[in-house]
Amino acid sequence: MRIVVCIKQVIDPEVPPSEFRIDPQKKEAVQGRANLVISTFDECALEVALQVKDKVPETTVTALTFGPKSAEEALRKALAMRADEAVRVDTDRTGRMDPAGVAQVLASTIQKIGGADVVLFGREGADFDSAQVGQMTAEALEMPLITLATEMEAVDKGIRARRHGDDGWSVVEAPTPVALTITNAPVNVPRIPKVKDVMQAHRKPITTMTLDELGIDPAILSEAAPVEMEELFIPEVNNQVTIIEGETPEEKAEKLAQAILALKVL
Amino acid sequence: MQLTAEQTALLETVRSFAQREIKPIVHTYEAEDRYPSEIVEKMQELGLFGLNIAPEYGGAGVDTVTYALVFEELSAVWMSLAGILGTHGIMAYVLQRFGTEEQKRRLLPRMASGELRGGLGLTEPDAGSDVQNLKTTAVRQGDRYVLNGQKMFITNSRYGSGLLVLARTNPLADKPSHGMSAFIVEHDEQTPGYIVRRPIHKLGYKGVETCELSFEDLQVPQENLVGGEEGHGFAQVMSGLEVGRINVAARAVGVARAAFEEAVRYAQQRQTFGQPIAQHQAIQLLLADMYTQLSAARHLYIDAAEKKDRGQRADLEAGMAKLFASEMCGKVTLDAMRIHGGYGYTTDFNVERYYRDAPLMIIGEGTNEIQRTVIARQLLQRYRV
Ligand SMILES: Cc1cc2nc3c(=O)[nH]c(=O)nc-3n(C[C@H](O)[C@H](O)[C@H](O)COP(=O)(O)OP(=O)(O)OC[C@H]3O[C@@H](n4cnc5c(N)ncnc54)[C@H](O)[C@@H]3O)c2cc1C
Repeated sequence: MRIVVCIKQVIDPEVPPSEFRIDPQKKEAVQGRANLVISTFDECALEVALQVKDKVPETTVTALTFGPKSAEEALRKALAMRADEAVRVDTDRTGRMDPAGVAQVLASTIQKIGGADVVLFGREGADFDSAQVGQMTAEALEMPLITLATEMEAVDKGIRARRHGDDGWSVVEAPTPVALTITNAPVNVPRIPKVKDVMQAHRKPITTMTLDELGIDPAILSEAAPVEMEELFIPEVNNQVTIIEGETPEEKAEKLAQAILALKVL
Repeated sequence: MQLTAEQTALLETVRSFAQREIKPIVHTYEAEDRYPSEIVEKMQELGLFGLNIAPEYGGAGVDTVTYALVFEELSAVWMSLAGILGTHGIMAYVLQRFGTEEQKRRLLPRMASGELRGGLGLTEPDAGSDVQNLKTTAVRQGDRYVLNGQKMFITNSRYGSGLLVLARTNPLADKPSHGMSAFIVEHDEQTPGYIVRRPIHKLGYKGVETCELSFEDLQVPQENLVGGEEGHGFAQVMSGLEVGRINVAARAVGVARAAFEEAVRYAQQRQTFGQPIAQHQAIQLLLADMYTQLSAARHLYIDAAEKKDRGQRADLEAGMAKLFASEMCGKVTLDAMRIHGGYGYTTDFNVERYYRDAPLMIIGEGTNEIQRTVIARQLLQRYRV
């Protein structure tokens, strides 16, 4: 079984809020002292793929990213976790890219590298959280899609996945080829790579492709995209404290109710 | 120093491991002085025991700089774990550098996997700084050596399964150091003649065992004489201690860094006289000195490690790094305690542990007085008039 896991490199979402900055001109987040990491849910997706490989060693896992040169480190991490191959489609863009355009890039790349039995995505990027790339890529590849899965195993002619539904769990099966978006769960906490594999990952090749080779016009990623980002800003939070005075609890409750009504937030 | 992508990725791996697996349990293990078997198993899986062993023998083959950086990282969470790796790493280094090809093939892969976890048996009740005065003897009998004697303060000697032992093979040698040989002793609870007299109770450095041993007609196969030739043990072990000193310096920087980071955070949260204590100049002076000294210590150990990696003699640099870093650690951990006030003296905070761990680095792997004599001897040679 050939599994392709699409991973994105993002600024570490664990960066303390006090250190998070954006560049309003470029409309993107500033890296500052934060590390670049594999987007949280994408790393869970990698773990899900590698667990299939642990059980069925013939499985191959390819990590695929669309990103700048720095994103090679995300691929190296994937190789250190023991993905078999790594592919990067090059771009010099670091800010937001339109999900529909990204989906087109990923779908074309997957076709170009010979297709896949299973394509995995994180359920959403840990930066803009738009949760669209998985769905749109599956559509472009004409694959059925299972969303919000947490585990997967290979079964006869396909896969079985456990997914997180609105009112509980469901276990679904699908023939391959199939695409899944993965959400985090205790079963797919990403493994810590072995030190030897970390060292070896830096000696493995990474296949690099360009949009040109894929015949894709970079304009679809922003200028010609259906959605344009007008403004990017950190919302200002104003904390105000009003102490409600009163003789009795009833009186305080009454005043509190009045105050809430006056704010017109209900 | 600009870290390479490889070093960054490796340290990131060790950091995630430390945060996920060690941090949540360190307080309990420390308080109970319990050997962290579960963590050691995970360190094995991660491949930490093979860090400085060449890939052809199953290790990761990192250089001295990277190895030391890993020690700093682990020590910033729990220095005792660096102790479990420390003398194991020295034994691996000595074997790799001086062992016969047969010894390397037989022993290093097992050391790399952590199946054979080693230690270093030099010190004796009457031979610490003056290790040349050691009394343990190894007498050849047929295809084996028979060891007799006592060893003191031997870390990893109970829960580990191997020990690099320095013993006297020729009492009549021209110089005492030429009469010593190093042996790989493999042991378990049943090994006849390998007797753990008692675990030594310590101020800090909890969790990892340090024991008093005696050897009573302990049989060691002749194949386990390091390098296959008698008389080279002292020089072999001293070369290993050079790496050991660099790593002790890195440990000291790790502990001091943890103490500093907790202090600088605490100083911004704790208020006195209407403002965070970090606004009082007295506290700022402490913070500035702590960070300056800890950064200087890091430069020293990296410099020594780089020299070693270039194949240059590095005993002067390793000695200076060990001396400066360990004294710095003693001072910085005390200052971190000052900044925490009374809370720093309680076991509710980590600084008291850092403070208790610091003196070991001043005493272990050659006391700082001995470091100074080594440094001075070199300087007098270098600047001879
Ligand atoms: C927790 C712990 C773990 C240890 N682990 C190990 C281990 O795994 N393996 C191992 O082999 N050893 C180990 N040691 C032993 C350690 O290396 C020795 O304690 C150290 O070398 C000092 O020796 P000593 O204790 O005999 O002190 P001594 O040599 O008796 O020194 C006493 C004092 O005299 C000073 N002094 C001695 N000679 C001179 C001199 N010529 N000039 C000036 N001052 C001098 C010393 O600096 C010190 O201040 C460990 C020690 C501890 C505390």
